[in-house]
Amino acid sequence: MIFELNGVNVIAELTTTVTLLDLLRTDFGLTSVKKGCEQGECGACTVLLDGMPVCSCLVLAPQVEGKRVTTIEGLSENPLMKELRDAFMENGAVQCGFCTPGMLLSSFALLRDNRHPTEDEVKVAIEGNICRCTGYVKIIEAILDAAEKISPD
Amino acid sequence: MRTLTGITLLKTHTLVGALEILSTLDKVQPIAGGTDLIPLIREVESKSTHFIDIYSIKELNGIYEESDSIIIGSTTTHSQLLSSKTVSEKIPALHDACSLIGSIQIRNRGTIGGNLCNASPAADSAPPLLVHDAEVNVSSLSKNQWMPLEEFFKGPKISALKSDELLIGIKVPISGNGCSAFKRIGRRKSFTLSIVNAAAFVERDGDSIKNLRLSIGSVAPTPLRMKKVEKEFIGSKLNHQTLTEIGQACSGQVNPIDDVRGTAEYRRDISSVLIKRALIEAWSRTGGK
Repeated sequence: MIFELNGVNVIAELTTTVTLLDLLRTDFGLTSVKKGCEQGECGACTVLLDGMPVCSCLVLAPQVEGKRVTTIEGLSENPLMKELRDAFMENGAVQCGFCTPGMLLSSFALLRDNRHPTEDEVKVAIEGNICRCTGYVKIIEAILDAAEKISPD
Repeated sequence: MRTLTGITLLKTHTLVGALEILSTLDKVQPIAGGTDLIPLIREVESKSTHFIDIYSIKELNGIYEESDSIIIGSTTTHSQLLSSKTVSEKIPALHDACSLIGSIQIRNRGTIGGNLCNASPAADSAPPLLVHDAEVNVSSLSKNQWMPLEEFFKGPKISALKSDELLIGIKVPISGNGCSAFKRIGRRKSFTLSIVNAAAFVERDGDSIKNLRLSIGSVAPTPLRMKKVEKEFIGSKLNHQTLTEIGQACSGQVNPIDDVRGTAEYRRDISSVLIKRALIEAWSRTGGK
């Protein structure tokens, strides 16, 4: 099976049916994609599938044939992602860090499509990402801060 | 723990291909977004070991406005429905429901057909479609038939779908000048299952109810239409007293159970509250006060 992973066409040899989550972690070593609840509840395994946040634990690997999968590794040089990453660090939005890759991808998708989100829009964007450390306040502040920096006015 | 070993995923890009597989192989289950099915496969021994991916069948996806109805393909996602102007203008209760289903990750993946085929009594897309008199298209290699959505739900997690059949699409008639709304209550505001959900469709003639359709979910083995209540109040003026009476009448029609999300008593009480909230919202959308 061929699909696009972080901008590069890759071949995955699927001998059994696994989830996209397992494929990314095991075959491609992308451990930023976290294995949390495996029920689609926690959002730690969030990836962008054709640009849209989805839980990779709920996608069967063969279903991404011909599609575009993006993890934070593929966005390391992206200006918007850099801004978000800096804002997360400056605002203390990271404690244990387990939810962070998923939070970054969900907020990346938000700011890519909506450069001036309200606080409520930020909350909706991360409703599928559970954080057990921060209480969300600092994460929401970080996302609003990044939004401010990408379009100051 | 919870691996998916031993399952196979068959692929096809055509509807005919999918129907052929369903008619020739035993115990093959269609899968689309997988948001309900994959957790289920992990948790319990699934009856099926073979799944057929219908997500890549293009003809099953999309929202089409025709002269007298709106056709929704069964693999249309909640996110697609949420961003559709046709849906927000013509089926507002469904727009309301889609904004509340799951999280963004789930809405980007989960489909309306999957929500209906899962046949949960708490399915949020059911009450909006029931009050819009929706029909579903159930097809196999040998037949293609439309049936009222109401008849599609047979019991908790049981639909009318036979093993060789596929839910192809949903037809929502465009009717008059009515408006609809959906309300629900869960244990928290977002990303939660409904304890009770409700939808109302109302057509207004001045301050009188010209047409009324009501539905409540998660209060019986299947999502319910409140046909007895509807009949009783068509022609009445809508005011505080009739609202209270409609709420009470609906509470009398539900048949809830106790479960982890709520008690039967709570569900009965909240049914009346939610149906009133949905009706008030639908009424105000028609321009009524």
